[in-house]
Amino acid sequence: MVNVILDLKNVTKRFGGLVAVDEVSFSVRRGEILGLIGPNGAGKTTLFNVITGVYKPEGGRVIFKGVDITGMPAHRIAKMGIAKTHQIVKPFNDMTVLENAMIGALFGKRSGKIGMGEAREVARRMVEFVGLGEKANHLASQLTLHEKKLLEIARALSAEPELLLLDEALAGLNPREIEESLGLIKRVNEEMGVTIIMVEHVMHAVMNIAERIVVLHYGRKISEGSPEEVANDPEVITAYLGDPSLALRFVRRRGA
Amino acid sequence: MSRAPGYLKSPTLLLIVVVVAYILGERLAGLMTLDALMLFMYFLGIAAALNIIMGFAGYVSFGHAVFLGIGAYTYILLVYFVPTMNSLQKMGAGLGVFAVAVVAGLAAAAVAATIGAVVLRLRGAFFAIATIGLDFAALYIVKGVVPTLNPEQFYGAQVILPSWAIVPKEDVFNAMLLTFLLVILTNYAVRRSGFGMGLLAIKEDEDAAEVLGVPTAKYKTIAFTLSAFFTGMLGAIFALNGGGVDEGIFHLGHSINMIVMIVIGGLGTVSGPIVGGIIYYWLYDLLLIHYPGLNLVILGIIVGLVVLFAPEGIIGILRKLTFQGVRLRELLE
Amino acid sequence: MDVSILAINVVSGLMWGCVLGVAAIGLTLLWGVMKVVNLAHGELLLLGGYAIAWLYVTYGLNPLVGALAALAIGVAAGAAIYWALLHKLVGKVDIITLRIEMSTLLMMFALSIALYNVYSHVTRSEPRGIGLWHVGPTSVVKFGPVAVQMNHLFAAVLALFITIAVHLFLTRTMVGKAIRAVMQDSQAAALVGIDPVKIKMFTAMLAIGVTALSGFLVLLYESSIIPGTAYKYAPLGFVIVVLGGLGSILGSFIGGVIIGVVYGLSKVIVAELYSPMASDPIALSTAFVILVLVLLFKPEGLFGRR
Repeated sequence: MVNVILDLKNVTKRFGGLVAVDEVSFSVRRGEILGLIGPNGAGKTTLFNVITGVYKPEGGRVIFKGVDITGMPAHRIAKMGIAKTHQIVKPFNDMTVLENAMIGALFGKRSGKIGMGEAREVARRMVEFVGLGEKANHLASQLTLHEKKLLEIARALSAEPELLLLDEALAGLNPREIEESLGLIKRVNEEMGVTIIMVEHVMHAVMNIAERIVVLHYGRKISEGSPEEVANDPEVITAYLGDPSLALRFVRRRGA
Repeated sequence: MSRAPGYLKSPTLLLIVVVVAYILGERLAGLMTLDALMLFMYFLGIAAALNIIMGFAGYVSFGHAVFLGIGAYTYILLVYFVPTMNSLQKMGAGLGVFAVAVVAGLAAAAVAATIGAVVLRLRGAFFAIATIGLDFAALYIVKGVVPTLNPEQFYGAQVILPSWAIVPKEDVFNAMLLTFLLVILTNYAVRRSGFGMGLLAIKEDEDAAEVLGVPTAKYKTIAFTLSAFFTGMLGAIFALNGGGVDEGIFHLGHSINMIVMIVIGGLGTVSGPIVGGIIYYWLYDLLLIHYPGLNLVILGIIVGLVVLFAPEGIIGILRKLTFQGVRLRELLE
Repeated sequence: MDVSILAINVVSGLMWGCVLGVAAIGLTLLWGVMKVVNLAHGELLLLGGYAIAWLYVTYGLNPLVGALAALAIGVAAGAAIYWALLHKLVGKVDIITLRIEMSTLLMMFALSIALYNVYSHVTRSEPRGIGLWHVGPTSVVKFGPVAVQMNHLFAAVLALFITIAVHLFLTRTMVGKAIRAVMQDSQAAALVGIDPVKIKMFTAMLAIGVTALSGFLVLLYESSIIPGTAYKYAPLGFVIVVLGGLGSILGSFIGGVIIGVVYGLSKVIVAELYSPMASDPIALSTAFVILVLVLLFKPEGLFGRR
């Protein structure tokens, strides 16, 4: 049997009349990289916020490592081993890079059982792992966007998570930075054994790195499978291009 | 920064030692009156007390006068109405005063824990406005209720300690010194703890902190309660030294004093309220002597200039400087 | 309980509420449009009141004309405050509005300390008023069993006029419409060609102008003012703004009336059930209990949108 780390069952999240996430179900296998894609407003970030406990879903269950975490406060979910990076980077600007990562270490998986010294060591290791070692004592506000995104990852990793949610970790980066970040994400997955769900708009990147892909559209799951399967799914192409006939032509051309 | 010999390298600790040495020196030399020295400690103390919630967690409370008031009224009413409390406060050369002040502080802390659990859900200006509301609610309630407790003896909401409840000034001084040390060292301990790191994360970005695992609601309530506890103790000893209390203790101006000291010194550090408190006390004194009547006008202008040109406060500016290759930020916490 | 006592208190609360409502308009505009929490509100209100009293006592200027002067002084003060104190803070592009809010809050707070103490120094905290210019607090109008003080009635009627005038200004004039657009979405407004800096300055001028003008109503209602009057009207202003919803003129007026009536009612109830001595302060405290409750359970206000 496949080892499932996260299981979503019919998750629904509404904002007033708007259904942002509509009866979405899928499972994440331990150790995989899962891509979560969909056009703008498909509900990807909302779904991340439901998983991390920022939003309480109106319906459905979120099961993490066999435990029902639906509606748990966000800080307890973090402690159970889920970490997230933000789409719009949210570094603690008035803290150094190292201190930012220390917050992750202090309140992550070993929250309450880790001293300041040990937290500093974990933080330093992670800061070096993402390649910010030389900037450990710089204020977070002095970093470039790319470095801030790396800091988000270092901070999340310092929590020693089992599941890492990356919300558009590549957006706004130039091609070289994207390559570097992809390498880093792979290393996180392979060397640290962290399961990853990544929301991504940079399509070729996610197709490249993810083993499986889930596609959301208007809050509903419309497709799931390997990158090839998803790329050839007419419904997915329709969702992205908005026109069924155009989509069909697109599929035919690719098939040819 | 390596951690082991940190005591010697930490200017914050050095600052604390210097300030305490100064107080003790003045006490021995007897150049400053006991009252002036107590006012000095009271100023620095309330700034440090508010610092726990405002400096570290970033919640600007205009309602701390409420806790000063609760502490003051609890202390005064306790020794007024409860004979054991009155005998307790006269014991141990100030230790008794300290003990009763702890009870007063606990009363303030209890109210803070109850109110804090709900009010701390509000953020930024809404929190500030709510605490202004609490201050006025408390002011008007005390104005209404206290006179009815003992209409023959109390003048309005004013309670004056009768001669049998007066404590020697030396005892009050000792209790104040003890409380002052306690609040400053608590600041230092909080700043160096994981709890303090969590509070700083809340100040920077509360949502991000929560997702990273910081139990934000719990931490804010603890910080608010701790802050109220020390504020209540200081209010109690302040009132005892003044020989009584009236509703003026709830005046917004008291909260404002605390906020101004932290703004001048700088948020988020242990040295901020100490430096801000010293400058404020000094300015207060200086301006009062040279420009009586206009002293607070000038103070207002100074605060405005700080907000416009040095929003991080004095310690904030110092932290940005580099000294012989070492960034001062790493030294000043 | 005597029904007429209840009626008198409710009616007098109603009229005070009208004054409170107008006194909060400037506050709600600054907060709603610019995210500036004006802690100097009470002192700016007194700026108008003191100006009118001074012009009347020194030059015998009719306070109605004085009120127009107060308006002009407030408008000028609004422009000055915007450029000298606020522009640098609200113009900053900071994704965290919280920082803007807190820095402007502290700034206005600094202004409040300064102004308050200027007033205390200049007036030596003695009351200032317009003497017996208005028909005097003794003159009353009777509506059945309810006797109404003439100055209170006059203040309430003026309050109603000012509210309507500000409402019309915001809905009918170009500048007013632009202010409302910026209030709803500052970035979108900029996209359609509205200069947000200009509009923010106009907002400050309008808001502080109305605030100074409402100093006239407070002067009428209270007969005389002291620096401490600021500490009564500014906090109540915050209650009303929160109750009525940020930026809502009519919400502010209705919020004022609600607070006034609740005050009148609780005064009677506390006097009856607890102690007449405690009735006034405790009735005032109800307003702040309402404030905290609204903030917690309906933070967008009774009539506001979020």
